[in-house]
Amino acid sequence: MTAAATIPNPIGSPPEPATWSIGPPRLLAVGYGPRRPYDRSAPRLLSRDQLTRDVATVGLLGRGGAAFPVAAKLRAMPRRRVATVVVNGSESEPASYKDRILMRHAPHLVLDGALVVAHALRARRVLIAVNDEPAAAALHQAIGHRSDARSVRIAGTGGRFVGGEARAVLRALGGGPALAPGRRVLPSDRGYRGTPTFLSNVETFAQIGLLATLGPRAYAGTGITDEPGTTLLTVTGAVGRPGVVEVPHGTPLSVLLCEVGAAPGAAVLLGGYHGAWWTGDPAVPLSRPILQAAGATLGAGVVCVLGPETCPLAELAHVAGYLASESAGQCGPCMFGLPTVAHDLQRLLGGHRSAASDLRRRLAVVPGRGACAHPDGTARFVTSGLRAFAADIEQHQMAGGCGRPFRGQLTVSPTWQEVAR
Amino acid sequence: MTRERRIHVDWTRCDGHGLCAVLFPEVIGSDEWGFPVIDGRPMSPDEIIHARRAVASCPALALRLEARSVRQPARSR
Repeated sequence: MTAAATIPNPIGSPPEPATWSIGPPRLLAVGYGPRRPYDRSAPRLLSRDQLTRDVATVGLLGRGGAAFPVAAKLRAMPRRRVATVVVNGSESEPASYKDRILMRHAPHLVLDGALVVAHALRARRVLIAVNDEPAAAALHQAIGHRSDARSVRIAGTGGRFVGGEARAVLRALGGGPALAPGRRVLPSDRGYRGTPTFLSNVETFAQIGLLATLGPRAYAGTGITDEPGTTLLTVTGAVGRPGVVEVPHGTPLSVLLCEVGAAPGAAVLLGGYHGAWWTGDPAVPLSRPILQAAGATLGAGVVCVLGPETCPLAELAHVAGYLASESAGQCGPCMFGLPTVAHDLQRLLGGHRSAASDLRRRLAVVPGRGACAHPDGTARFVTSGLRAFAADIEQHQMAGGCGRPFRGQLTVSPTWQEVAR
Repeated sequence: MTRERRIHVDWTRCDGHGLCAVLFPEVIGSDEWGFPVIDGRPMSPDEIIHARRAVASCPALALRLEARSVRQPARSR
């Protein structure tokens, strides 16, 4: 079932996660790399209506985390005015690596998608927001090898978690701080420097590039009816083989876990630090619509695995502390609320009886009260953890602990090697 | 999609003065730090008068009364 086509690292440094696919690779197929002249037939350029139709036919959903339908986003763009196309490659989700892998190894595919969208919307410029040197280098190299990418510019962005949110990226690109604005503005209305902007995640554009090349019928040749095609997942934590995996939608979670060598009975966090612990069917098909219906999310495609040999509450508390420290401090409920939630988790760890009820009361008023979704995501992560680790909480309340050490399996760190360790 | 009035808080402006919660406790509560907790239910025409008063009295100009569609646009990353 597995085609383990490990792609050589074109940049040399830094070390990066292993890359492979379950089934034939698409995004990770060779031929989209930065070095050689782009020898594929150029992307099939589509009209706006055709692109919207094709994207709707395959039900393409945004790959940055919100899983917003791309067709709806295209339809929301104003008819006449010239738009900017922004490729969000900031990849600020701490455990995610898939966007960097795409930009480093398949920059031509990302460019294809961006140019297809720019053509369809008659956009004058394409901006790629990147926070990774090797990715920027690969994109520059790829642009040099093709004649149709003169409108593309690469822009650096800041590195913090909340700076990767769409509107924060747009503000940073316009010369402002990388923070979400407090007032609701839609990028399709007022995006980059106040112009109508189509912004999506790197993988979304790569998928559009594929779709334009293959056409909807061939694109839907893999995956499931609910969600055709493939997706990239970054798998970290207590697994034998961490890395970035391309999987057809509908692949059972259990198959992925077996593939990466997760211990039996491991706890699984879907969607990264803003995601939720999965306690449902171990063989649930990996697909955004199916997971969404079950109250879960794939987020930016991050799957974290927690082994049975670590204290899950300590892991939760550790990440909650990190998330609290990542608050930009611009919204009160986040700035004060998240550290309190993290503190309550420390109390829970020590077996304080009132900690769980304090947490539930506080978590109830966290979501929806910030300029960005950082508080919402943090609340989802902690709330689902309380549910998934209810037995452990009881044990901590009874005995003041569970006897297991903290291993830092979800640990946040700037480099992949440390994440994967 | 119906349109209804809602109180929108610009959280980057709100400093938790708490006037809104005092003026319009039926819909605006406050958390343990004094930041507003808005009850998202639709407001009656009478309540909208109170809502306007709360909006107008915010010292940080953080509140707005918005007419918006009930289906919220999804945030993207």
